[in-house]
Amino acid sequence: MAPTLAQIARAPVAAVDFANILLTTQDAKIGTSPKDVVWTHRTTTLYRYRSNLRTKPVPVLLVFALINRPAIFDLRPGNSFVEYLLDEGYDVFLVDWGAPGDEDHDVGLDSYVCDALPWAMRETLRASGQEELSLVGWCIGGVLAAMHASIDPASPARNLVLLTTPVDTSGSLYAKWVGRPDFDAGYVADTLGVIPGAGVDVMNKMMKPVANFWTTYRTLWGQVLEGTARREAYQAMAKWVADNPPFAGRAYREWIEAMYQRNQLVAGTMRLRGERVDLRNIEQNLLVVTAGADHIAPRQGTLPLLDLVSSADVEHLDRPGGHIGLMAGSRARTDIWPEIAGWLAERSDS
Amino acid sequence: MALTPGSEVNVAEDRPSPADEVQRLYNEAETQMARSMEDFVSRDSFGSLLVRMTENVMGVTQIATGAIDLVVRNLRIAGRPDVTRLARQIARTEDKLELVLQEVERLGQQLEALEPPAQPTGTNGGTTSARRRKTSA
Repeated sequence: MAPTLAQIARAPVAAVDFANILLTTQDAKIGTSPKDVVWTHRTTTLYRYRSNLRTKPVPVLLVFALINRPAIFDLRPGNSFVEYLLDEGYDVFLVDWGAPGDEDHDVGLDSYVCDALPWAMRETLRASGQEELSLVGWCIGGVLAAMHASIDPASPARNLVLLTTPVDTSGSLYAKWVGRPDFDAGYVADTLGVIPGAGVDVMNKMMKPVANFWTTYRTLWGQVLEGTARREAYQAMAKWVADNPPFAGRAYREWIEAMYQRNQLVAGTMRLRGERVDLRNIEQNLLVVTAGADHIAPRQGTLPLLDLVSSADVEHLDRPGGHIGLMAGSRARTDIWPEIAGWLAERSDS
Repeated sequence: MALTPGSEVNVAEDRPSPADEVQRLYNEAETQMARSMEDFVSRDSFGSLLVRMTENVMGVTQIATGAIDLVVRNLRIAGRPDVTRLARQIARTEDKLELVLQEVERLGQQLEALEPPAQPTGTNGGTTSARRRKTSA
């Protein structure tokens, strides 16, 4: 709708409000649910969220990507998947991969899949006093969880939830960019040591340049002008989007080469420390969640997983939304969280 | 169709204002621009350009960091590679510590498995045990 005269008169004040929202975004509080540090190793930290409502014995371990902060699971009060699970009686843990430094340039995918993740699971079970857990992985976190379940027959993961998880990357936009044979990921990794988070952020935004570099701000301006801007919601998401940790060099090179240049995960030819990562070895109860408007991990790149795993109990949920919006958007609490919590509840008795 | 009295006013209200029309045209232009840009970045030529630009940035980065490291080294000041070397050593020590802790835990579990079960204490228990031993003999 075209601006009214009243809105035009309000424009100078709105400009100040608009600038204030942008300039104070870094002060937004995200990931604020009370939690305690259970274990640390290098840059990895395992947290346990405080709760007096733990009724379900099987704890939940949340695993996010390497290129964004896991605070997306606990974005802000009222829009927090962690909060929701705690209210449902779950014992909730979260592994934060932290921010690799130059000294971590030799950290590879095996460091996460074969060391940090199993150790975090071990400490989750120790802290909770249980023998099995539910592993919830989102984006690259889902890939790491799937890789772990593929190579560890003694995994204590009873349930596996994979959210917007890329498995077959052929045809994706990322594959067109970095899957090219002339893209030397090793050269980038060796030069930079660790890939700056800002670089990864710019590349992600280049997938939809007008939407990310213009429309987001134009929409916020319109909302400020109309007096309908939701400051907390905008700032929480904007802060999270802009906070990208570095990507350890070796892990970056292996990720690009294995996932985008050779597409080895879906082909079953990937190896970690000599062990073949075969998705057919996954036997956990499996819930796969895809988002219909996901341009980062398109749903057709996740679907092959359903035909590969050996799990007897497999369910697929396909819901509207984007890669992040599916779980952190305004409708997540009503549209998807209850389904995930309900699925877990049926499989979380001792 | 004959217009009913007053309907000409309603028709005028339904017609979009010039400002609304400008807004609509802008929205259409922005949507079209977004589609065009997404189409552009998905082309092979853009991917090729991205690879070349990345190589160029890496090349400049290597030259710049090499030059800076050389200056710092010649000034006999600890530079970034020196700090990184130290940090890597700390990280490796932490890795070893984690493995040592795991080994200690494994040994602890083995010891627990080897320990005899605790004997029950108290007269009743002792009498019962003696009675059992007598029966066995």
